[in-house]
Amino acid sequence: MKTTFSALFLAAGIIAIPGPSGAASLMDWGRHVAKAGNGKPGGTACMECHRLDGGGMPSIGAPRISGQPRQYIAREIREVKEGKRYGPVMAGVVQNLSPRDIRAVALYYSRAKSPKLPDVGPSDPALVAEGKHIATRGFWKKNIPACVQCHGPNGYGVPPLFPYIAGQNRTYLLRQLMAYAFLKRQDDPEGLMRGIARRLTMAQRKAVAEYFSSLKPPVRDVP
Amino acid sequence: MVVRRFSRGVLLAVVAVLVLSPVGARGGPLEVMQGSEIFTPPSDSEIPKGPFGDLVRKGERIFTQTGRFARHYVGNDLTCESCHLDRGRKPYAAPLWGAYVLYPRFRSKNHMVNKLDERIQGCFRFSMNGTPPPVTSETMKALIAYSFWMSRGAPVGVKLKGQGMLSLPKPASSPSVLRGKKVYVARCALCHGMHGQGRTSHGGQVFPPVWGKRSYNKGAGLFKVSKLAGFVKMNMPLSKGDTLTDQESWDVAAYVDSQPRPAKPRKRSRS
Repeated sequence: MKTTFSALFLAAGIIAIPGPSGAASLMDWGRHVAKAGNGKPGGTACMECHRLDGGGMPSIGAPRISGQPRQYIAREIREVKEGKRYGPVMAGVVQNLSPRDIRAVALYYSRAKSPKLPDVGPSDPALVAEGKHIATRGFWKKNIPACVQCHGPNGYGVPPLFPYIAGQNRTYLLRQLMAYAFLKRQDDPEGLMRGIARRLTMAQRKAVAEYFSSLKPPVRDVP
Repeated sequence: MVVRRFSRGVLLAVVAVLVLSPVGARGGPLEVMQGSEIFTPPSDSEIPKGPFGDLVRKGERIFTQTGRFARHYVGNDLTCESCHLDRGRKPYAAPLWGAYVLYPRFRSKNHMVNKLDERIQGCFRFSMNGTPPPVTSETMKALIAYSFWMSRGAPVGVKLKGQGMLSLPKPASSPSVLRGKKVYVARCALCHGMHGQGRTSHGGQVFPPVWGKRSYNKGAGLFKVSKLAGFVKMNMPLSKGDTLTDQESWDVAAYVDSQPRPAKPRKRSRS
C-alpha cells in the first residue's frame, strides 16, 4: 500500500515538474502579453508604455523594467492590483492579468535588455552632485541611510526585492518618491521607503532622482 | 582636604555619568540623531589637504570597504561600517568619536589597559573573524588617523552621549529565541535573509551576514545578547531605529546569537 502511494507521488512529481518546454512557453507567453496583451478586456500590451525591450518611456515617466528581478516585477504588479501601490495608469491595465500572466511578463521582462533611454532635457550638474552625496553617504541627521545601502553599490539593486534604480528615468524616480511621501504607494516592505521619502526635502528628492537617472543601468546578471 | 574634596567631586561626576547615560535622557530616534547634546564630528569638507588628510581618507576607505582595502586582515563578509553605521558617525552605533576619547582604558575583557590600536585589533580578531593588523601597519595607521580626525573637538576621557551601544534595561520576560525568530522573520529577513546570510548585489556583499561562517565570531562584542539588543533597538531596521520594542530587541538578539557562527579564537596573538 505504502509503496503504491509513494509511486503515485513520485509519478505526480515527475509530471508536475515543468520541463524546459514549460519555462520556454512561459517566456513566450510573457512576450506575447508584453506585445499584444492577454486578449481580455482592458488587456493593454505592456510595450505601449514599457516598450518591448523594457526600456520604458522617459517622456511620460514610464519606468524601465528590463532586467529587474522577476520576483520584484511580479510583486509590483500584484501590489498595484491589490491597490497597495499607487499607480493610476497601471491600476486599469493589470486588473485582468491572471497569476500566470503576471509570472510570464515578470519572467520576460527580467530577461529583456535595453540601453538607457535619454531623459527629457539636460541634467543639472549641481543637483547630480547633491544627489550623489545623499545616495552614497545618506543624510543621517534625518535618519536617512545612503540609498546604495539597500539599492546596492551604484544603485544596481539587491535581488530579489530591492530594485535597481541606476539608469531609471528621472521623472519616474521623482514621481515614486512623491508617491511614497504623499500618495498611496504602500507596497514598500516595512514602510522603509515611505519613511525615507517623507524625511527628504523636495530639493533632495529631485537631487537623488537626478543622480540615479544620470547613471548607466546595470548589465543584467541577476538570476 | 582640597584633594579629597576634588576627588569626591570627580566621584560624583562619574556616578552622574553612569546613572544618566545612556538610557537616562533618551528620546525618539530623530531627537537622538539631532539632539544638541550629541557630539557632531567634523564634516568631510574639512578634511585637510596633504598627508594627514590622505591618511584620513584612506582610513575611511578601509572602514567602509574593509574586505577590499584591508583584505589580509579580514576573515568574513563584514566591514567596519556593518556595525559602526554612517561611516562610524552614528550615535548608539559605537561611533568612532565616542570611542577615541575613551582610550587608553582598562578593559575587563583582557584585564589590561588597552590602547585604541589594541582595541581595533580586537575588532579584526573577533568581529571581522580575521587577523589583527600590526600596530605599525598602514591599515592601522589609517584607521587611527580616521578615528582621531572624527573625534576632533570632543572632550577627552568622557563618555559622550551616544557613545557605544544603548544599554537596554532588562526585559520584562527573559529573552526568548522562539519569539525572537518571529521578529527576525518579520523585520530582519528582508535584508539579512532567512538564513542570516545577508544579500549580495552583482557579486558584492551588501547586507551583512548576521550569523554563519561569514559573520562575526563568538568573541565579538555583538555575541553578547545585551549589546546586540541595544544595537538592534537603536539602529534596526536601517532607517527605522527605535521601532522595535525593548522586548522584541532582546528576543531577536537572543535568536541571532543562538545561531551558529565561528568559534572564539583561542590565543591572543601579539603583534
